[in-house]
Amino acid sequence: MRRRMALVLAAAMAAGTLAGCSGGGSTGAAGGAAKTEAPAENAAPADPSYYEVTEPITIKWWHALEDQYSGIVDQVVTDFNNSQDLITVEAEYIGSYSKLNEALVAAHAAGTGLPAITVANTPYVAEYGAGGLTENLDPYIKATGYDVEDFGNGMLEAAKYNGTQVSLPFLISTQIMYYNKDKVDEMGITLPETWADMDAFMEAGTVKAADGSTEMYATIIPGWDQWYFETFYLNQGVKIINDDQVSTDLGGEKAIEIASKIKEWCDNGYTYWTGTADDASSNMRQNFISGKALSVVHTTSLYNNYVDQVDFEVGMHWLPGAETKNQEIGGCVVLIPSKNDQATKNAAWQFMQYLVGKDVNMTWAEGTGYMPTRKSVLETEEGKAFLEKKPAFQPIFDNLDLINPRIQHKGWSQLATIWKNSMAELIMEGGDVQEAMEMMADEINDVLGDA
Amino acid sequence: MSKAMSQNERNEAAKRNRKIKAAAQWILAIIVMIIVVFPIYWMLISSVKSQEEILLAIPTLWPKEFHFENYTNVLNRGNFAKYYYNTIVMTAGILVSQVVTGVFAGYGFSKGKFKGQGLCFIIVLGALMIPIQVTFIPIYIMMANWGMSDTFMGLILPVAVSPYFIFMLRQNFMAIDDSYIEAARMDGLGRVGIITQILAPMCKSALFTVILVTFTDGWNSYFWPKIIAMNEKRRVLTIGLAYLQNTFAGQETMNNHEVMAGAVLAVMPVIILFFIFQKYMLTGYSKAAMK
Amino acid sequence: MKEKQINPRKISAIKDFCCVVPALIFLAVFTYYPIVELFRISLTDWNLLNDTWNYVGLKNWKWLFAGSGTKYLWNSLRVTILYSIGELSITLIGGMIFALIFNRMTNSFAAMRAVVFMPKYVAMSSAAVVFLWILNTDSGILNYILSVFGISAVDWLGDRNTALISVLMLTGWRCIGYGMMVYLSAMMGISTDYYEAASLDGANGIQKFFKITLPMLSPTTLFLFVTTFLSSMKVFQSVDILTQGGPYRSTEVFVYNIYRYAMVDFRMDRASTVGIFFFFLLLIITVATMKISSGNVTYDS
Repeated sequence: MRRRMALVLAAAMAAGTLAGCSGGGSTGAAGGAAKTEAPAENAAPADPSYYEVTEPITIKWWHALEDQYSGIVDQVVTDFNNSQDLITVEAEYIGSYSKLNEALVAAHAAGTGLPAITVANTPYVAEYGAGGLTENLDPYIKATGYDVEDFGNGMLEAAKYNGTQVSLPFLISTQIMYYNKDKVDEMGITLPETWADMDAFMEAGTVKAADGSTEMYATIIPGWDQWYFETFYLNQGVKIINDDQVSTDLGGEKAIEIASKIKEWCDNGYTYWTGTADDASSNMRQNFISGKALSVVHTTSLYNNYVDQVDFEVGMHWLPGAETKNQEIGGCVVLIPSKNDQATKNAAWQFMQYLVGKDVNMTWAEGTGYMPTRKSVLETEEGKAFLEKKPAFQPIFDNLDLINPRIQHKGWSQLATIWKNSMAELIMEGGDVQEAMEMMADEINDVLGDA
Repeated sequence: MSKAMSQNERNEAAKRNRKIKAAAQWILAIIVMIIVVFPIYWMLISSVKSQEEILLAIPTLWPKEFHFENYTNVLNRGNFAKYYYNTIVMTAGILVSQVVTGVFAGYGFSKGKFKGQGLCFIIVLGALMIPIQVTFIPIYIMMANWGMSDTFMGLILPVAVSPYFIFMLRQNFMAIDDSYIEAARMDGLGRVGIITQILAPMCKSALFTVILVTFTDGWNSYFWPKIIAMNEKRRVLTIGLAYLQNTFAGQETMNNHEVMAGAVLAVMPVIILFFIFQKYMLTGYSKAAMK
Repeated sequence: MKEKQINPRKISAIKDFCCVVPALIFLAVFTYYPIVELFRISLTDWNLLNDTWNYVGLKNWKWLFAGSGTKYLWNSLRVTILYSIGELSITLIGGMIFALIFNRMTNSFAAMRAVVFMPKYVAMSSAAVVFLWILNTDSGILNYILSVFGISAVDWLGDRNTALISVLMLTGWRCIGYGMMVYLSAMMGISTDYYEAASLDGANGIQKFFKITLPMLSPTTLFLFVTTFLSSMKVFQSVDILTQGGPYRSTEVFVYNIYRYAMVDFRMDRASTVGIFFFFLLLIITVATMKISSGNVTYDS
């Protein structure tokens, strides 16, 4: 009986597969990954006419710019659509950077529903480059004579994978400590220049009520994205990914020491851990606005947002360093998915040049807290003029050379998730730091070794 | 005499007990009702408030002003009109395919006679144990290879046959006496005729119940549409609503009033259906599963 | 086959068979074949981000049972079972209590029953966003009500201790009326003779409930137990909208775990491996519950 059933099942399956295939118009490949992509780069013509847009076309632009930026997004898209006749761009908000990543990879695997052009958070560049998701832009740049030399070096580097230009810098930011300048002056507090200064700063900047509860935190470090705390590790020599590319140093002595320190500050009420929930960011910002936090670590891109909402002067302070004082590029690049047809890619290339162009870039830089990306702004009189409007950006202009590209690794987004979850669990639920960090390192090693 | 008295007393006591019991039931029932209805009430009320009002420190139980533009915002800016269209087409597609395949298979398994009938039925029953939450990865890949992600075909095909539907109809058709079928055959009716003119009308209420359950399950489905139709093109209401939650009430914005308007739009058709066809829907799930 | 050899009965059998063929084909393609595929993929190293994949033997199984996946496998199993216990308690115990409360055959009670049952038909995604709003830490009505009683704000979805409870609140709201309806229709089927006999023996209401109602309802309870248990193992949607498995994977139920490997990490190989495990788990549970159902239950006959 059992054997007979197995036979029937097998027969039914075979019949089903056949019928299904002919009905669905399959190409015959059972596994999606078995499909071979013919990358165009081998035969990318150098003839500029190959990259011209000749017929009217409507293209989609995916972005992760929230409601607060919708005015400027609309304006940029409308301006572009009005500037020429052939290309119509439709902007679509997909969600956070990680949601956009999920949607993009899924669309790439399916081969349908891809946008013509999309933004991507800086750490994804390697993942996409290695997976063949992005179009190699070098032939486009060469054939159309586009000048990429004007981009800041680090920014351009951050948009490359293995020396190939797979994307271009679009909205660039870096980590920064926003502080309540009025309060800092009033309390006579020295802002921390190095990690060693942090203890004194945390103690001096915290105001406690009589019952021991905290009335004002010295600072708040976001826990919903490891980007905000990873520089503290990097600047003290911790290798997040070792040179062998398959292991991490996060389970090492130094890393444990840093994590213990952060936990200690949280336990002492100098700061609190934000956790990873959706509203962690707005809660943190609310604390700063309402004076419950002397300072917060956040991204420069939200500068205007902060300034508009507070009634005190907001200062920007370079994060405390240690052996080095480096920071990292945040924000997003723009890229063209490789599985699009050439006409779509050409239209996307036109729009991309416009998006990353100097004029649009300055519109963003002035209207938000994103940084100017052009040398011809950063290193010239234009930059001085910009600083006059936004003097708080002085520390960023002073330290431009210290803003480094992100660590590029295929397993990065998984690593990042493990790290931020482990930190949140460790600090919010308590537990032994060493044990937690070592367990986390094991898990990360597994991801890195397997990517 | 004394016996009659005590009988009387006992009756009195029983009556009093019944009254107390009734009062207790009423009170508890009303408390339960308030708790159960509250989320729906809160959804409706929040959906017509302004943003300032939903963020007040002390929530208001009745909106100060009515902001019906929340609904037009969701329909236009939130693109709900499109999600509605997608949901209707998808649900209709699932319904039609499940009814057609279900009715025929139900007939085949109850009134038909062929070799291996039992085995084939075991295949159907076995499928009941394998939900799409287990098999979604290969199906997703298959659909992607066939170019069906973000299409109606992709949404409908994998759920075009419901083993549950077949099973239900088979049970109901079995209960119908073979003499009706024989008589119909004598009158020269073919299989399609027997199904549409004899079996279906005789199991009208059961069939209708299963159809209603299928409809609501299709309308409310979430898991598979989330996998296969993430993009705006074929996004359905349930997914659209979750997306709206991310867009309108994400980290930097608090447009929960508009999200609530979206929620109202998404549930309305089913709720209306529920009150019209209460009789069927109240027993729908339980009766269906009991057999 | 020659024409004359086909007799009418054979034709009839073929036609009958044709009625079930479409359904069988669909089930073969979309239910059974994927199981085979799952096995195959679980033996590869297929990452959706990569262009190619290879067969790697049992590497993924090692990862699942003796690697970094193990911790999360047991975690998701634990969370799913906790969730199942919660949903079962609400449906069975809550449903029974509701059935006793609403057990009055008047029109007003019929109307109230309909209202209590209605949430079952409210799409989970709508219900979930409503609960997100009610449970909101800063502006949610629940924390406001608690603050009236002097209880400080609870971070319902961000705290490991309350996140699963929050998910269960939503589930409970949707399924308690269902449990009630199933119990009520079964209660109506219990012959009043039993109660009259018990009254003559001097049994009070509570005794009657435990001696008659409860035992007579055991087939119903079993039915509810089996169906609720199996469906609770597949919970996804409420978790997806309310917590996304967080905080730090503490509400990551089984299906969410698979979904995460497949659609967030794009590790099709790992997701398939966990998927196969899940398939066997469901199979074992189904067979076990079927075995139990054929055993000790009281039937009214």
